[in-house]
Amino acid sequence: MTNIGDLVEGVVRSDRRSIARAISYMEDGHTEIKKEIMEKLYSHCGKAHVVGITGPPGIGKSTLIGNISVLLAQKGMNVSVLAVDASSPYSGGSLLGNRIRMQENLFNYGIYMRSLANRGARGGLSVSCMGAVNVLDASGSEIILIETVGAGQADLDIMNLADTTILVLGPGLGDQIQAIKAGIMEIADLFVINKMDIDGSYFAMKDIEEVISMDDPRGFRRRVTGTSATDHAGYDELVNTILDHGRYISGEGIIGRKRFLMGARWILESEIGRIIIDPAMDIIKKKGTDKNPYVLAENIISQLNAGVLKEL
Amino acid sequence: MSGGKYMADGKNQSLFREKPIKVLLAKPGIDGHDRGVLVLAKAFRDAGMEVLYVGLLPTPEDVVDTAINEDVDVIALSLLNGAHLTVFRKVMDIMKNKGIDDISVVGGGTIPDEDKPELEALGISGNYGPGTPLSTIIEHVRMRAEEARIKKLR
Repeated sequence: MTNIGDLVEGVVRSDRRSIARAISYMEDGHTEIKKEIMEKLYSHCGKAHVVGITGPPGIGKSTLIGNISVLLAQKGMNVSVLAVDASSPYSGGSLLGNRIRMQENLFNYGIYMRSLANRGARGGLSVSCMGAVNVLDASGSEIILIETVGAGQADLDIMNLADTTILVLGPGLGDQIQAIKAGIMEIADLFVINKMDIDGSYFAMKDIEEVISMDDPRGFRRRVTGTSATDHAGYDELVNTILDHGRYISGEGIIGRKRFLMGARWILESEIGRIIIDPAMDIIKKKGTDKNPYVLAENIISQLNAGVLKEL
Repeated sequence: MSGGKYMADGKNQSLFREKPIKVLLAKPGIDGHDRGVLVLAKAFRDAGMEVLYVGLLPTPEDVVDTAINEDVDVIALSLLNGAHLTVFRKVMDIMKNKGIDDISVVGGGTIPDEDKPELEALGISGNYGPGTPLSTIIEHVRMRAEEARIKKLR
């Protein structure tokens, strides 16, 4: 399957092996191969509603995804799942354990799911995530659920990839002060309090309600939904809020916008790094310099004869 | 840091420049003895591999579907219930029907010596039993992963 044309053709007609191999190239392929795949896929991208699900480790993200993916599939939607898990900082290996919580549902409904290791990336995603989303988008997925690595207060990458960001929390994680902290609490479009069958979950709901009540009344009204896998409760409501938010961003015409901007920034940074910064660093290393870094940057920019970027 | 006497360390640890081996651990069929497979999962992780485990009681179809969707290099099958000749063969049949030849399959569990040639003939290698050093298993998986990688590049 080294013929990229055939591979992309397979992705577009939603052939599982082609999708899986294309995502592998996004994970491990050389820049040239990724570029070729993206060139051929790009015209098929931009339709999927990307839903990011983040929250602390062990809060129930994977189980939640297993349950809502089924409800979405039952509505006749083409659903797929990407789940990122942590790589070992010692060995580079990873135990990709998200699948095991959701696979029974996936098997029953033939939902495509792929596990990705974060491979040392900080921020909750892997570097390959963007490419994998584009492959799934081109394969005809209408809704792509992305599970981040178990997240802390500052693992915020998902906000730049997902159209809808859902923060899953549970009872006992903090009080009102915790709820108005900067960082991950701000990036959620929707909140979930999971494990509603456990004591303290209604206090957690209340704390989030209070945060939401302080939101700017213009724009989308953020919501909090309580769910419980034990009682299989709250999932219908959650799915409806997800679809509501999807309709809102479609209405605003901004589906895929964040993903496009982040993709553009990533590629620009890596290409400019490769073509301009890497050779400049080589010269600095070889010849040495007593100039300070700001002066070096100015020199490089003036030599590039650019100054102002006029058009793309 | 983990890594006892029999553990093999992963390499190039902090840079993530090399593609890690992706291995799927599976116990297809009716067998709930998962202690061994969990020990292997951690040992493979510590050896620098990306490890998936299908959990208890998947069907052979589930195992092959997962291997395809995750694009793994190696499927590592384990059974301690004596059904290896039937169930491992089923996995190989499904793979054959789907035309998959770029995923290596290894086996393990309580497999009598006299069954091993039959499994080998199906393309299932290793077939290690209790007491095998983890380093032996890891080396074998690495070797079979390399074979699969070469086939994927065709």
